[in-house]
Amino acid sequence: MRLFGSHLRRLVRRPATLVTYLLLTGLILLIIVAVAAASQQVADPQSSLAARLILTFPSAWTLTLAMVVAVGGMLALTYGAAIAGAEWSWGTLKTAVARGESRARYTLAAIAGATVLAWAGTLIAYAAGIVGALASAAAVHITSATLIDAQTAGDLAGQLARTALAIAMDVSIGYAIATVARSQLAGIGAGIGLYFGEGIIGIFVPQIVKWAPFAATSAMLGGGTTAVAGAASAASSARLDPDLAVVVVVAWLVLAAGFAAVWTERADING
Amino acid sequence: MAEPNAAIVTRGLAKRYGRQVALDGLDLRVPTATVYGFLGPNGAGKTTTLRILTGLVRPDSGSVELLGRPFGRGERRVLFRVGALIEAPSFYPFLSGRENLRALAAAGGPVPRGRVDEVLDLVSLRDRAGDRVSGYSMGMRQRLGIAAALLNDPALLLLDEPANGLDPAGIVGLRETLRALAAQGRTVLVSSHILSEVEQLADVVGIIARGRLVREGPVAGLLAREGEVRLRVAPDEVATAGAALERLLGAGSVRRADDRGGVWLVARCDPARAADLNRQLAGAGVFASRIEAGATLESLFLELTGSARDGLGGA
Ligand SMILES: Nc1ncnc2c1ncn2[C@@H]1O[C@H](COP(=O)(O)OP(=O)(O)OP(=O)(O)O)[C@@H](O)[C@H]1O
Ligand SMILES: [Mg+2]
Repeated sequence: MRLFGSHLRRLVRRPATLVTYLLLTGLILLIIVAVAAASQQVADPQSSLAARLILTFPSAWTLTLAMVVAVGGMLALTYGAAIAGAEWSWGTLKTAVARGESRARYTLAAIAGATVLAWAGTLIAYAAGIVGALASAAAVHITSATLIDAQTAGDLAGQLARTALAIAMDVSIGYAIATVARSQLAGIGAGIGLYFGEGIIGIFVPQIVKWAPFAATSAMLGGGTTAVAGAASAASSARLDPDLAVVVVVAWLVLAAGFAAVWTERADING
Repeated sequence: MAEPNAAIVTRGLAKRYGRQVALDGLDLRVPTATVYGFLGPNGAGKTTTLRILTGLVRPDSGSVELLGRPFGRGERRVLFRVGALIEAPSFYPFLSGRENLRALAAAGGPVPRGRVDEVLDLVSLRDRAGDRVSGYSMGMRQRLGIAAALLNDPALLLLDEPANGLDPAGIVGLRETLRALAAQGRTVLVSSHILSEVEQLADVVGIIARGRLVREGPVAGLLAREGEVRLRVAPDEVATAGAALERLLGAGSVRRADDRGGVWLVARCDPARAADLNRQLAGAGVFASRIEAGATLESLFLELTGSARDGLGGA
Protein backbone atom coordinates (compact mmCIF):
# COMPACT_ATOMS: atom_id res chain seq x y z
CA MET A 1 0.00 0.00 0.00
CA ARG A 2 2.86 2.34 0.94
CA LEU A 3 4.55 1.53 -2.35
CA PHE A 4 1.36 1.88 -4.39
CA GLY A 5 0.60 5.27 -2.84
CA SER A 6 4.12 6.41 -3.55
CA HIS A 7 3.85 5.33 -7.20
CA LEU A 8 0.56 7.22 -7.48
CA ARG A 9 2.06 10.39 -6.04
CA ARG A 10 5.03 10.40 -8.38
CA LEU A 11 2.85 9.66 -11.42
CA VAL A 12 0.53 12.56 -10.58
CA ARG A 13 3.58 14.83 -10.64
CA ARG A 14 4.94 13.38 -13.84
CA PRO A 15 4.71 15.60 -16.95
CA ALA A 16 3.94 12.60 -19.16
CA THR A 17 0.68 12.15 -17.26
CA LEU A 18 -0.54 15.67 -17.98
CA VAL A 19 0.60 15.49 -21.61
CA THR A 20 -1.29 12.22 -22.11
CA TYR A 21 -4.44 13.67 -20.53
CA LEU A 22 -4.33 16.76 -22.71
CA LEU A 23 -3.64 14.70 -25.82
CA LEU A 24 -6.55 12.33 -25.20
CA THR A 25 -9.04 15.05 -24.27
CA GLY A 26 -7.94 17.17 -27.22
CA LEU A 27 -8.28 14.29 -29.68
CA ILE A 28 -11.75 13.41 -28.41
CA LEU A 29 -12.98 16.99 -28.70
CA LEU A 30 -11.49 17.23 -32.18
CA ILE A 31 -13.29 14.06 -33.27
CA ILE A 32 -16.58 15.37 -31.89
CA VAL A 33 -16.22 18.63 -33.77
CA ALA A 34 -15.50 16.63 -36.93
CA VAL A 35 -18.58 14.51 -36.28
CA ALA A 36 -20.69 17.62 -35.84
CA ALA A 37 -19.40 18.93 -39.15
CA ALA A 38 -20.13 15.60 -40.84
CA SER A 39 -23.71 15.67 -39.57
CA GLN A 40 -24.27 18.76 -41.71
CA GLN A 41 -23.15 16.99 -44.92
CA VAL A 42 -26.10 17.11 -47.26
CA ALA A 43 -24.19 15.41 -50.10
CA ASP A 44 -23.69 12.20 -48.14
CA PRO A 45 -26.92 11.44 -46.27
CA GLN A 46 -25.68 8.10 -44.90
CA SER A 47 -22.67 9.44 -43.02
CA SER A 48 -24.68 12.45 -42.00
CA LEU A 49 -27.14 10.08 -40.35
CA ALA A 50 -24.39 8.13 -38.55
CA ALA A 51 -22.87 11.38 -37.33
CA ARG A 52 -26.22 12.62 -36.03
CA LEU A 53 -26.57 9.37 -34.07
CA ILE A 54 -23.33 10.02 -32.22
CA LEU A 55 -24.59 13.42 -31.15
CA THR A 56 -28.03 12.16 -30.14
CA PHE A 57 -28.67 11.24 -26.53
CA PRO A 58 -29.02 8.78 -24.91
CA SER A 59 -27.04 6.75 -27.52
CA ALA A 60 -24.26 9.37 -27.33
CA TRP A 61 -23.37 8.09 -23.86
CA THR A 62 -22.10 4.69 -24.98
CA LEU A 63 -20.89 5.81 -28.41
CA THR A 64 -18.67 8.49 -26.91
CA LEU A 65 -17.30 6.01 -24.40
CA ALA A 66 -16.42 3.57 -27.17
CA MET A 67 -14.58 6.36 -28.94
CA VAL A 68 -12.65 7.39 -25.83
CA VAL A 69 -11.58 3.81 -25.19
CA ALA A 70 -10.45 3.29 -28.78
CA VAL A 71 -8.19 6.35 -28.74
CA GLY A 72 -7.35 6.06 -25.04
CA GLY A 73 -6.34 2.41 -25.35
CA MET A 74 -3.37 3.23 -27.50
CA LEU A 75 -2.38 6.12 -25.26
CA ALA A 76 -2.67 3.90 -22.17
CA LEU A 77 -0.33 1.46 -23.87
CA THR A 78 2.29 4.11 -24.57
CA TYR A 79 1.80 5.54 -21.07
CA GLY A 80 2.54 2.13 -19.53
CA ALA A 81 5.56 1.80 -21.78
CA ALA A 82 6.87 5.26 -20.86
CA ILE A 83 6.63 4.50 -17.16
CA ALA A 84 8.37 1.14 -17.36
CA GLY A 85 11.06 2.46 -19.70
CA ALA A 86 11.82 5.36 -17.38
CA GLU A 87 12.20 3.06 -14.38
CA TRP A 88 15.05 1.32 -16.21
CA SER A 89 16.68 4.27 -17.93
CA TRP A 90 16.55 6.64 -14.94
CA GLY A 91 17.84 3.91 -12.64
CA THR A 92 15.01 4.37 -10.15
CA LEU A 93 14.18 0.65 -10.24
CA LYS A 94 17.84 0.01 -9.44
CA THR A 95 17.80 2.14 -6.28
CA ALA A 96 14.56 0.57 -5.07
CA VAL A 97 15.88 -2.96 -5.57
CA ALA A 98 19.19 -2.10 -3.89
CA ARG A 99 17.14 -1.03 -0.87
CA GLY A 100 15.79 -4.55 -0.61
CA GLU A 101 12.45 -3.95 -2.32
CA SER A 102 10.85 -6.94 -4.04
CA ARG A 103 11.16 -6.51 -7.77
CA ALA A 104 7.82 -8.16 -8.50
CA ARG A 105 5.98 -6.10 -5.90
CA TYR A 106 7.56 -2.90 -7.20
CA THR A 107 6.56 -3.74 -10.78
CA LEU A 108 2.97 -4.63 -9.90
CA ALA A 109 2.59 -1.50 -7.77
CA ALA A 110 3.86 0.62 -10.67
CA ILE A 111 1.41 -1.03 -13.07
CA ALA A 112 -1.45 -0.53 -10.61
CA GLY A 113 -0.55 3.14 -10.12
CA ALA A 114 -0.30 3.75 -13.86
CA THR A 115 -3.64 1.99 -14.39
CA VAL A 116 -5.38 4.23 -11.86
CA LEU A 117 -4.05 7.36 -13.54
CA ALA A 118 -4.79 6.12 -17.06
CA TRP A 119 -8.30 5.23 -15.95
CA ALA A 120 -8.75 8.67 -14.40
CA GLY A 121 -7.55 10.24 -17.65
CA THR A 122 -10.06 8.16 -19.58
CA LEU A 123 -12.88 9.37 -17.34
CA ILE A 124 -11.76 12.98 -17.69
CA ALA A 125 -11.68 12.67 -21.47
CA TYR A 126 -15.06 10.96 -21.39
CA ALA A 127 -16.59 13.77 -19.35
CA ALA A 128 -15.09 16.30 -21.75
CA GLY A 129 -16.42 14.26 -24.67
CA ILE A 130 -19.96 14.24 -23.26
CA VAL A 131 -19.86 17.98 -22.65
CA GLY A 132 -18.48 18.41 -26.17
CA ALA A 133 -21.25 16.24 -27.63
CA LEU A 134 -23.93 18.23 -25.81
CA ALA A 135 -22.45 21.52 -26.99
CA SER A 136 -21.99 20.31 -30.57
CA ALA A 137 -25.53 18.93 -30.68
CA ALA A 138 -26.86 22.26 -29.54
CA ALA A 139 -24.72 24.07 -32.10
CA VAL A 140 -25.99 22.00 -35.04
CA HIS A 141 -29.55 21.85 -33.67
CA ILE A 142 -29.79 18.14 -32.96
CA THR A 143 -32.31 17.64 -30.22
CA SER A 144 -32.68 14.56 -28.07
CA ALA A 145 -35.99 13.38 -26.61
CA THR A 146 -34.41 12.23 -23.34
CA LEU A 147 -30.91 12.86 -22.06
CA ILE A 148 -30.62 9.51 -20.35
CA ASP A 149 -32.90 6.54 -19.64
CA ALA A 150 -32.71 3.64 -17.20
CA GLN A 151 -31.53 1.21 -19.89
CA THR A 152 -28.60 3.43 -20.91
CA ALA A 153 -27.63 4.15 -17.33
CA GLY A 154 -27.50 0.41 -16.64
CA ASP A 155 -25.44 -0.30 -19.76
CA LEU A 156 -23.10 2.54 -18.94
CA ALA A 157 -22.19 1.24 -15.50
CA GLY A 158 -21.24 -2.12 -17.00
CA GLN A 159 -19.35 -0.46 -19.86
CA LEU A 160 -17.36 1.74 -17.50
CA ALA A 161 -16.28 -1.29 -15.49
CA ARG A 162 -15.19 -3.06 -18.65
CA THR A 163 -13.35 0.04 -19.78
CA ALA A 164 -11.31 -0.09 -16.57
CA LEU A 165 -10.32 -3.65 -17.43
CA ALA A 166 -9.35 -2.63 -20.96
CA ILE A 167 -7.22 0.26 -19.72
CA ALA A 168 -5.51 -1.97 -17.15
CA MET A 169 -4.70 -4.45 -19.90
CA ASP A 170 -3.32 -1.73 -22.19
CA VAL A 171 -1.10 -0.30 -19.46
CA SER A 172 0.18 -3.77 -18.54
CA ILE A 173 1.03 -4.68 -22.12
CA GLY A 174 2.86 -1.38 -22.62
CA TYR A 175 4.69 -1.91 -19.35
CA ALA A 176 5.70 -5.45 -20.26
CA ILE A 177 7.01 -4.45 -23.68
CA ALA A 178 9.11 -1.58 -22.31
CA THR A 179 10.43 -3.82 -19.52
CA VAL A 180 11.97 -6.05 -22.15
CA ALA A 181 13.16 -3.08 -24.22
CA ARG A 182 14.44 -1.22 -21.11
CA SER A 183 13.77 2.08 -22.80
CA GLN A 184 10.88 4.50 -22.99
CA LEU A 185 11.14 5.17 -26.69
CA ALA A 186 11.60 1.57 -27.77
CA GLY A 187 8.70 0.57 -25.54
CA ILE A 188 6.42 3.25 -26.95
CA GLY A 189 7.41 2.38 -30.52
CA ALA A 190 6.84 -1.33 -30.01
CA GLY A 191 3.51 -0.62 -28.30
CA ILE A 192 2.20 1.48 -31.17
CA GLY A 193 3.50 -1.13 -33.61
CA LEU A 194 1.57 -3.84 -31.80
CA TYR A 195 -1.59 -1.75 -31.76
CA PHE A 196 -1.63 -1.14 -35.48
CA GLY A 197 0.04 -4.45 -36.35
CA GLU A 198 -2.82 -6.33 -34.76
CA GLY A 199 -5.36 -4.44 -36.83
CA ILE A 200 -3.48 -5.07 -40.05
CA ILE A 201 -2.85 -8.76 -39.43
CA GLY A 202 -6.51 -9.04 -38.43
CA ILE A 203 -7.52 -8.29 -42.01
CA PHE A 204 -5.80 -11.49 -43.15
CA VAL A 205 -6.35 -13.92 -40.30
CA PRO A 206 -9.37 -12.62 -38.38
CA GLN A 207 -10.04 -16.01 -36.74
CA ILE A 208 -6.73 -15.87 -34.93
CA VAL A 209 -6.51 -12.16 -34.26
CA LYS A 210 -9.93 -12.07 -32.60
CA TRP A 211 -8.16 -13.54 -29.57
CA ALA A 212 -5.57 -10.76 -29.59
CA PRO A 213 -5.70 -8.00 -26.94
CA PHE A 214 -7.20 -5.12 -28.89
CA ALA A 215 -9.71 -7.21 -30.85
CA ALA A 216 -10.85 -8.75 -27.59
CA THR A 217 -11.19 -5.30 -26.07
CA SER A 218 -13.42 -4.05 -28.82
CA ALA A 219 -15.48 -7.26 -28.68
CA MET A 220 -15.81 -6.84 -24.92
CA LEU A 221 -17.07 -3.29 -25.31
CA GLY A 222 -18.95 -4.00 -28.51
CA GLY A 223 -22.33 -4.66 -26.85
CA GLY A 224 -24.00 -1.29 -27.29
CA THR A 225 -21.81 0.13 -30.02
CA THR A 226 -22.54 -1.99 -33.06
CA ALA A 227 -23.75 1.12 -34.81
CA VAL A 228 -20.25 2.59 -35.09
CA ALA A 229 -18.74 -0.73 -36.02
CA GLY A 230 -19.50 -0.12 -39.67
CA ALA A 231 -15.83 -0.17 -40.57
CA ALA A 232 -15.37 -3.44 -38.77
CA SER A 233 -18.38 -5.10 -40.38
CA ALA A 234 -16.20 -7.44 -42.42
CA ALA A 235 -14.60 -8.73 -39.25
CA SER A 236 -17.83 -8.95 -37.28
CA SER A 237 -18.16 -12.67 -37.97
CA ALA A 238 -14.75 -13.06 -36.31
CA ARG A 239 -15.72 -11.37 -33.09
CA LEU A 240 -15.64 -12.96 -29.68
CA ASP A 241 -18.80 -13.09 -27.65
CA PRO A 242 -18.65 -10.06 -25.29
CA ASP A 243 -18.63 -12.16 -22.13
CA LEU A 244 -15.94 -14.47 -23.45
CA ALA A 245 -14.02 -11.33 -24.48
CA VAL A 246 -14.00 -10.17 -20.85
CA VAL A 247 -12.26 -13.40 -19.89
CA VAL A 248 -9.76 -13.00 -22.73
CA VAL A 249 -8.97 -9.39 -21.74
CA VAL A 250 -8.44 -10.42 -18.12
CA ALA A 251 -6.18 -13.22 -19.31
CA TRP A 252 -4.07 -10.76 -21.32
CA LEU A 253 -3.95 -8.40 -18.36
CA VAL A 254 -2.74 -11.11 -15.98
CA LEU A 255 -0.31 -12.46 -18.55
CA ALA A 256 1.25 -9.07 -19.32
CA ALA A 257 1.52 -7.93 -15.70
CA GLY A 258 2.84 -11.34 -14.63
CA PHE A 259 5.34 -11.36 -17.46
CA ALA A 260 6.60 -7.89 -16.53
CA ALA A 261 7.01 -8.97 -12.90
CA VAL A 262 8.80 -12.22 -13.70
CA TRP A 263 11.04 -10.60 -16.29
CA THR A 264 12.05 -7.90 -13.80
CA GLU A 265 12.67 -10.56 -11.13
CA ARG A 266 15.09 -12.45 -13.36
CA ALA A 267 16.89 -9.59 -15.12
CA ASP A 268 20.34 -8.26 -14.32
CA ILE A 269 19.97 -4.62 -13.39
CA ASN A 270 23.00 -2.76 -14.69
CA GLY A 271 23.45 0.97 -14.94
CA MET B 1 30.31 -20.79 7.56
CA ALA B 2 29.73 -17.21 8.64
CA GLU B 3 32.90 -15.36 9.54
CA PRO B 4 32.82 -13.34 12.72
CA ASN B 5 33.64 -9.64 12.55
CA ALA B 6 33.25 -9.45 8.81
CA ALA B 7 30.56 -7.29 7.25
CA ILE B 8 31.19 -8.64 3.76
CA VAL B 9 32.75 -11.91 2.73
CA THR B 10 32.83 -13.03 -0.88
CA ARG B 11 34.18 -16.34 -2.04
CA GLY B 12 35.11 -17.05 -5.64
CA LEU B 13 32.74 -14.51 -7.15
CA ALA B 14 32.65 -14.79 -10.92
CA LYS B 15 30.63 -12.86 -13.45
CA ARG B 16 30.92 -12.48 -17.17
CA TYR B 17 29.07 -10.25 -19.58
CA GLY B 18 29.02 -12.20 -22.80
CA ARG B 19 32.69 -12.89 -23.49
CA GLN B 20 33.86 -10.11 -21.20
CA VAL B 21 35.02 -11.38 -17.82
CA ALA B 22 34.05 -8.85 -15.15
CA LEU B 23 34.90 -10.91 -12.06
CA ASP B 24 37.18 -13.88 -12.01
CA GLY B 25 37.01 -15.54 -8.60
CA LEU B 26 36.96 -12.57 -6.26
CA ASP B 27 37.56 -13.19 -2.54
CA LEU B 28 36.99 -10.17 -0.33
CA ARG B 29 36.82 -9.86 3.43
CA VAL B 30 35.63 -6.52 4.77
CA PRO B 31 36.01 -6.23 8.56
CA THR B 32 33.16 -4.77 10.59
CA ALA B 33 33.41 -1.18 11.82
CA THR B 34 36.06 -0.11 9.33
CA VAL B 35 36.28 2.07 6.28
CA TYR B 36 37.35 -0.22 3.47
CA GLY B 37 38.91 1.32 0.37
CA PHE B 38 37.97 -0.69 -2.71
CA LEU B 39 40.49 0.06 -5.42
CA GLY B 40 41.18 -1.06 -8.94
CA PRO B 41 41.82 0.27 -12.43
CA ASN B 42 38.93 1.13 -14.77
CA GLY B 43 37.08 -2.02 -15.69
CA ALA B 44 38.57 -4.03 -12.81
CA GLY B 45 35.14 -5.08 -11.59
CA LYS B 46 34.39 -2.74 -8.68
CA THR B 47 30.95 -1.66 -9.81
CA THR B 48 30.08 -5.21 -10.81
CA THR B 49 30.99 -6.35 -7.28
CA LEU B 50 28.75 -3.67 -5.76
CA ARG B 51 25.89 -4.71 -8.04
CA ILE B 52 26.23 -8.26 -6.80
CA LEU B 53 26.40 -7.12 -3.17
CA THR B 54 23.09 -5.28 -3.58
CA GLY B 55 21.30 -8.06 -5.42
CA LEU B 56 21.05 -6.16 -8.71
CA VAL B 57 23.09 -8.73 -10.57
CA ARG B 58 23.51 -12.41 -9.81
CA PRO B 59 26.99 -13.88 -9.96
CA ASP B 60 27.68 -16.81 -12.27
CA SER B 61 29.32 -18.57 -9.34
CA GLY B 62 30.66 -17.87 -5.88
CA SER B 63 28.99 -16.88 -2.65
CA VAL B 64 28.41 -13.73 -0.61
CA GLU B 65 27.88 -13.13 3.10
CA LEU B 66 26.43 -9.81 4.14
CA LEU B 67 26.38 -8.73 7.78
CA GLY B 68 27.10 -12.24 8.92
CA ARG B 69 24.45 -14.00 6.87
CA PRO B 70 24.54 -15.80 3.55
CA PHE B 71 23.18 -13.53 0.82
CA GLY B 72 21.59 -15.24 -2.12
CA ARG B 73 18.39 -15.40 -4.08
CA GLY B 74 15.38 -14.27 -2.06
CA GLU B 75 17.50 -12.89 0.78
CA ARG B 76 16.68 -9.29 -0.04
CA ARG B 77 15.74 -8.32 3.54
CA VAL B 78 19.40 -8.05 4.56
CA LEU B 79 19.50 -5.04 2.25
CA PHE B 80 17.19 -3.15 4.63
CA ARG B 81 20.38 -2.63 6.68
CA VAL B 82 22.57 -1.76 3.69
CA GLY B 83 22.81 1.63 2.00
CA ALA B 84 24.28 1.96 -1.47
CA LEU B 85 25.24 4.46 -4.12
CA ILE B 86 26.17 2.59 -7.26
CA GLU B 87 27.63 4.39 -10.24
CA ALA B 88 25.65 7.54 -11.07
CA PRO B 89 22.93 8.54 -8.57
CA SER B 90 19.45 7.86 -9.99
CA PHE B 91 16.40 10.05 -9.49
CA TYR B 92 13.11 11.15 -11.00
CA PRO B 93 14.12 14.42 -12.69
CA PHE B 94 10.68 15.98 -12.33
CA LEU B 95 10.52 15.51 -8.54
CA SER B 96 12.36 17.59 -5.97
CA GLY B 97 15.24 16.19 -3.95
CA ARG B 98 13.01 15.74 -0.92
CA GLU B 99 10.23 14.07 -2.94
CA ASN B 100 12.78 11.70 -4.46
CA LEU B 101 13.96 10.65 -1.03
CA ARG B 102 10.34 10.18 0.07
CA ALA B 103 9.70 8.00 -2.98
CA LEU B 104 12.76 5.92 -2.08
CA ALA B 105 11.66 5.66 1.53
CA ALA B 106 8.48 3.95 0.31
CA ALA B 107 10.53 1.07 -1.12
CA GLY B 108 12.52 -1.47 0.85
CA GLY B 109 13.09 -1.20 4.57
CA PRO B 110 11.07 1.15 6.77
CA VAL B 111 12.37 4.70 7.18
CA PRO B 112 11.38 6.69 10.29
CA ARG B 113 9.59 10.04 9.90
CA GLY B 114 11.94 12.98 9.85
CA ARG B 115 14.81 10.89 8.53
CA VAL B 116 14.54 12.48 5.07
CA ASP B 117 15.28 15.94 6.43
CA GLU B 118 18.00 14.53 8.66
CA VAL B 119 19.96 13.12 5.74
CA LEU B 120 19.33 16.26 3.68
CA ASP B 121 20.98 18.20 6.50
CA LEU B 122 23.83 15.73 6.64
CA VAL B 123 24.76 16.43 3.00
CA SER B 124 24.00 20.19 3.31
CA LEU B 125 21.24 20.08 0.73
CA ARG B 126 18.36 21.21 2.93
CA ASP B 127 17.89 24.64 1.35
CA ARG B 128 17.72 23.22 -2.19
CA ALA B 129 15.67 20.16 -1.26
CA GLY B 130 12.48 21.64 -2.69
CA ASP B 131 13.94 22.19 -6.18
CA ARG B 132 13.51 19.74 -9.01
CA VAL B 133 16.42 17.34 -9.42
CA SER B 134 16.57 18.15 -13.15
CA GLY B 135 17.93 21.54 -12.11
CA TYR B 136 20.63 20.17 -9.78
CA SER B 137 24.33 20.50 -10.48
CA MET B 138 26.44 17.34 -10.70
CA GLY B 139 27.76 17.72 -7.16
CA MET B 140 24.26 18.33 -5.81
CA ARG B 141 23.04 15.13 -7.42
CA GLN B 142 25.98 13.30 -5.89
CA ARG B 143 25.12 14.71 -2.48
CA LEU B 144 21.52 13.61 -2.90
CA GLY B 145 22.76 10.15 -3.88
CA ILE B 146 24.80 9.96 -0.68
CA ALA B 147 21.76 11.13 1.29
CA ALA B 148 19.72 8.37 -0.34
CA ALA B 149 22.33 5.78 0.67
CA LEU B 150 22.14 6.98 4.28
CA LEU B 151 18.34 6.97 4.36
CA ASN B 152 17.83 3.71 6.23
CA ASP B 153 20.64 4.40 8.72
CA PRO B 154 22.63 1.47 7.31
CA ALA B 155 24.90 -0.88 9.20
CA LEU B 156 26.79 -1.33 5.94
CA LEU B 157 27.31 1.46 3.45
CA LEU B 158 28.49 0.79 -0.12
CA LEU B 159 29.65 3.82 -2.06
CA ASP B 160 30.87 3.74 -5.65
CA GLU B 161 33.14 6.73 -6.24
CA PRO B 162 31.18 8.96 -3.85
CA ALA B 163 33.55 11.93 -4.17
CA ASN B 164 32.66 12.31 -7.85
CA GLY B 165 31.93 15.97 -8.50
CA LEU B 166 32.02 17.00 -4.83
CA ASP B 167 33.63 20.33 -3.96
CA PRO B 168 36.50 20.41 -1.41
CA ALA B 169 34.12 21.15 1.48
CA GLY B 170 31.94 18.27 0.32
CA ILE B 171 34.92 15.90 0.26
CA VAL B 172 35.99 16.89 3.76
CA GLY B 173 32.39 16.54 4.96
CA LEU B 174 32.10 13.12 3.37
CA ARG B 175 35.34 11.98 4.97
CA GLU B 176 34.15 13.13 8.40
CA THR B 177 30.76 11.50 7.97
CA LEU B 178 32.26 8.18 6.93
CA ARG B 179 34.83 8.19 9.75
CA ALA B 180 32.04 8.96 12.22
CA LEU B 181 29.97 6.05 10.88
CA ALA B 182 32.87 3.64 11.30
CA ALA B 183 33.43 4.95 14.82
CA GLN B 184 29.81 4.04 15.58
CA GLY B 185 30.56 0.46 14.57
CA ARG B 186 29.19 0.65 11.05
CA THR B 187 31.05 -0.60 8.03
CA VAL B 188 31.76 1.52 4.99
CA LEU B 189 33.07 0.29 1.65
CA VAL B 190 34.18 3.03 -0.73
CA SER B 191 35.45 2.53 -4.22
CA SER B 192 37.58 5.40 -5.39
CA HIS B 193 40.31 6.45 -7.78
CA ILE B 194 41.50 9.31 -5.58
CA LEU B 195 44.21 7.39 -3.75
CA SER B 196 45.41 10.26 -1.61
CA GLU B 197 41.85 10.54 -0.32
CA VAL B 198 41.62 6.80 0.35
CA GLU B 199 44.94 6.88 2.16
CA GLN B 200 43.50 9.44 4.56
CA LEU B 201 40.12 7.81 4.88
CA ALA B 202 40.44 4.04 4.79
CA ASP B 203 41.54 1.65 7.53
CA VAL B 204 41.75 -1.29 5.17
CA VAL B 205 42.12 -1.48 1.42
CA GLY B 206 41.44 -4.15 -1.14
CA ILE B 207 43.03 -3.75 -4.54
CA ILE B 208 41.56 -5.68 -7.45
CA ALA B 209 42.62 -6.02 -11.05
CA ARG B 210 40.96 -7.96 -13.85
CA GLY B 211 38.29 -9.26 -11.52
CA ARG B 212 40.65 -10.70 -8.90
CA LEU B 213 41.94 -9.53 -5.56
CA VAL B 214 45.64 -8.67 -5.72
CA ARG B 215 46.14 -7.28 -2.21
CA GLU B 216 44.06 -6.74 0.90
CA GLY B 217 44.97 -5.47 4.33
CA PRO B 218 45.29 -2.53 6.71
CA VAL B 219 46.65 0.53 4.95
CA ALA B 220 49.45 1.16 7.44
CA GLY B 221 50.62 -2.45 7.33
CA LEU B 222 50.57 -2.64 3.54
CA LEU B 223 52.52 0.56 3.15
CA ALA B 224 55.09 -0.59 5.70
CA ARG B 225 55.47 -4.05 4.22
CA GLU B 226 55.42 -2.94 0.62
CA GLY B 227 57.41 0.23 1.23
CA GLU B 228 60.81 1.04 -0.10
CA VAL B 229 63.89 3.08 0.72
CA ARG B 230 65.86 4.64 -2.12
CA LEU B 231 69.51 5.47 -1.61
CA ARG B 232 71.65 7.48 -4.02
CA VAL B 233 75.20 6.06 -4.16
CA ALA B 234 78.19 6.69 -6.37
CA PRO B 235 78.35 4.34 -9.38
CA ASP B 236 81.64 2.74 -8.32
CA GLU B 237 80.23 1.94 -4.85
CA VAL B 238 77.09 0.16 -6.05
CA ALA B 239 78.48 -3.35 -5.60
CA THR B 240 79.75 -2.75 -2.06
CA ALA B 241 76.62 -0.91 -1.00
CA GLY B 242 74.28 -3.48 -2.54
CA ALA B 243 76.03 -6.35 -0.79
CA ALA B 244 75.94 -4.53 2.55
CA LEU B 245 72.21 -3.85 2.25
CA GLU B 246 71.41 -7.43 1.24
CA ARG B 247 73.30 -8.69 4.28
CA LEU B 248 70.82 -6.69 6.35
CA LEU B 249 67.60 -7.28 4.41
CA GLY B 250 68.15 -10.62 2.70
CA ALA B 251 69.13 -11.60 -0.80
CA GLY B 252 67.00 -10.19 -3.62
CA SER B 253 65.56 -7.33 -1.61
CA VAL B 254 67.65 -4.66 -3.29
CA ARG B 255 67.53 -3.57 -6.90
CA ARG B 256 69.28 -0.92 -8.92
CA ALA B 257 67.44 1.87 -10.65
CA ASP B 258 69.24 4.46 -12.74
CA ASP B 259 67.99 7.85 -13.68
CA ARG B 260 69.49 11.05 -15.06
CA GLY B 261 70.96 12.00 -11.70
CA GLY B 262 72.90 8.75 -11.30
CA VAL B 263 72.27 5.44 -9.55
CA TRP B 264 69.59 4.57 -7.00
CA LEU B 265 69.63 1.46 -4.87
CA VAL B 266 66.06 0.60 -4.05
CA ALA B 267 65.55 -1.53 -0.95
CA ARG B 268 62.20 -3.18 -0.36
CA CYS B 269 61.49 -2.72 3.35
CA ASP B 270 59.58 -0.77 5.96
CA PRO B 271 60.32 2.91 5.27
CA ALA B 272 60.82 3.39 8.99
CA ARG B 273 64.06 1.45 8.66
CA ALA B 274 65.76 4.12 6.53
CA ALA B 275 68.14 5.05 9.37
CA ASP B 276 69.14 1.37 9.81
CA LEU B 277 70.06 1.18 6.16
CA ASN B 278 72.02 4.37 6.34
CA ARG B 279 73.98 3.03 9.32
CA GLN B 280 74.63 -0.25 7.50
CA LEU B 281 76.03 1.61 4.49
CA ALA B 282 78.23 3.75 6.69
CA GLY B 283 79.52 0.60 8.34
CA ALA B 284 80.59 -0.63 4.92
CA GLY B 285 82.32 2.67 4.24
CA VAL B 286 79.73 3.95 1.78
CA PHE B 287 77.87 7.20 2.20
CA ALA B 288 74.60 7.85 0.45
CA SER B 289 74.21 11.29 -1.03
CA ARG B 290 70.41 11.15 -0.79
CA ILE B 291 67.86 8.97 0.95
CA GLU B 292 64.16 8.80 0.17
CA ALA B 293 61.87 6.60 2.15
CA GLY B 294 58.22 5.73 2.02
CA ALA B 295 55.50 4.35 -0.07
CA THR B 296 52.22 5.84 -1.13
CA LEU B 297 49.07 4.02 -1.92
CA GLU B 298 49.57 5.34 -5.42
CA SER B 299 52.98 3.73 -5.92
CA LEU B 300 51.70 0.49 -4.40
CA PHE B 301 48.57 0.56 -6.56
CA LEU B 302 50.48 1.17 -9.78
CA GLU B 303 52.93 -1.59 -9.01
CA LEU B 304 50.31 -4.15 -8.00
CA THR B 305 47.89 -3.52 -10.81
CA GLY B 306 50.65 -3.50 -13.40
CA SER B 307 49.38 -0.25 -14.81
CA ALA B 308 52.48 1.81 -14.09
CA ARG B 309 53.84 1.81 -17.61
CA ASP B 310 50.70 2.34 -19.71
CA GLY B 311 50.04 5.90 -20.69
CA LEU B 312 46.61 5.94 -19.12
CA GLY B 313 46.84 2.94 -16.83
CA GLY B 314 43.85 0.63 -17.08
CA ALA B 315 43.54 -3.12 -17.02
N1 LIG C 1 26.33 -4.13 -18.49
C1 LIG C 1 27.50 -4.57 -18.95
N2 LIG C 1 27.57 -5.15 -20.16
C2 LIG C 1 28.73 -5.59 -20.63
N3 LIG C 1 29.89 -5.53 -19.97
C3 LIG C 1 29.91 -4.98 -18.77
C4 LIG C 1 28.70 -4.46 -18.19
N4 LIG C 1 29.00 -3.97 -16.97
C5 LIG C 1 30.33 -4.16 -16.80
N5 LIG C 1 30.87 -4.77 -17.87
C6 LIG C 1 32.30 -5.15 -18.04
O1 LIG C 1 32.75 -5.72 -16.84
C7 LIG C 1 34.05 -5.25 -16.52
C8 LIG C 1 34.04 -4.63 -15.14
O2 LIG C 1 33.26 -3.47 -15.15
P1 LIG C 1 32.99 -2.58 -13.86
O3 LIG C 1 31.98 -1.57 -14.21
O4 LIG C 1 32.68 -3.50 -12.73
O5 LIG C 1 34.39 -1.90 -13.62
P2 LIG C 1 34.84 -0.82 -12.54
O6 LIG C 1 35.92 -1.45 -11.73
O7 LIG C 1 33.66 -0.31 -11.81
O8 LIG C 1 35.46 0.31 -13.45
P3 LIG C 1 35.46 1.92 -13.31
O9 LIG C 1 36.62 2.25 -12.43
O10 LIG C 1 35.70 2.38 -14.69
O11 LIG C 1 34.14 2.32 -12.76
C9 LIG C 1 34.45 -4.28 -17.63
O12 LIG C 1 35.25 -4.98 -18.54
C10 LIG C 1 33.15 -3.92 -18.27
O13 LIG C 1 33.31 -3.67 -19.64
MG1 LIG D 1 32.70 1.57 -11.70
